[in-house]
Amino acid sequence: MCPTRRGAEARRPEIEAEVGVDVKESVQRQFGAVAANYATSAVHVHGPDLAAMLGAVALRGDEAVLDAGTGTGHTALAFAPRAGHVVAVDLSEPMLEQGRRLAAERGIANVAFARGDVERLAFPDASFDLVTSRFAAHHVPRPRAAAAELARVLKPGGTVLLADVVSPGDPATDTFLNAIELLRDPSHVRDHSVLEWRGILNDAGFVVDEVGTWPLRLEFASWVTRMGTPEPSVAQIRSLLDAAPTEVRTALAVEADHSFSVPVVVLRGVRPQLAR
Amino acid sequence: MTTTGNDHTTAETIDPGLLAILVCPIDKQALRLAGATLTCTACGRVYPIEDGIPNMLVDEES
Repeated sequence: MCPTRRGAEARRPEIEAEVGVDVKESVQRQFGAVAANYATSAVHVHGPDLAAMLGAVALRGDEAVLDAGTGTGHTALAFAPRAGHVVAVDLSEPMLEQGRRLAAERGIANVAFARGDVERLAFPDASFDLVTSRFAAHHVPRPRAAAAELARVLKPGGTVLLADVVSPGDPATDTFLNAIELLRDPSHVRDHSVLEWRGILNDAGFVVDEVGTWPLRLEFASWVTRMGTPEPSVAQIRSLLDAAPTEVRTALAVEADHSFSVPVVVLRGVRPQLAR
Repeated sequence: MTTTGNDHTTAETIDPGLLAILVCPIDKQALRLAGATLTCTACGRVYPIEDGIPNMLVDEES
């Protein structure tokens, strides 16, 4: 076994040179092509989870806010009128361009956009009062590194609000959900469970509580169209949904037209005042 | 702010509040603005400003 594995290791760089694309590059390719779809996506513009995020933290109006994985900026723009200024960071330049356009359209002047990586943020320690991240965390290859960075850039006593689709938790549904997510979007990393997210945030030093959980109905046609999923992959997803075991059909509330529902959670983490 | 994709550039269009807090994502040291680039005063890495949006991404191998 050993020589074979070593052989595989030795060949890996060559394979990567031919076809290898890392997750962050994949995110940029994937979202570069469909950025405009996200500027108008009802799932992203509205949602009870976004309202809950706005209600989950009391702002005075002078806070420094970071929106990590801002996409087309919906969360940044929602928080901007309640804060001093917002920095909106994303890997994808076309997504940020859409965000900047939306900010201009709405006359919002206190949001600044920057390309950046949540695992290696370009901000000093203790820069922000609040960090938000919505529908982005499932793209992060190293969530523990990202959580540590969010803790680093938050002031002591600062808050992180994390909203994302989560795996319902049972292994069969977890595997199923992440499989169809990956078929839809090659840059998908993982819909973690609430328990996993709590652990990741706890380990980064946050005191965590759950703001709430809401079902998000994903209308099948718009879900795949928004991402520009190629038809063969769409057919594979339909086929998986048709053949899904009862437990999975129930957990995801799969409908006749392949629409389904996933839980969206909002977690709040507070960075303790005292250094640990 | 109301135009996109034109050639307005850099120091005039990068948000001053953002410019004031940005640091090198690798070593978190101060940056020096020159034209359309931000250069780390410690390690010398260069970050371009593209249409007013600073690109603070780094190559994974660096």
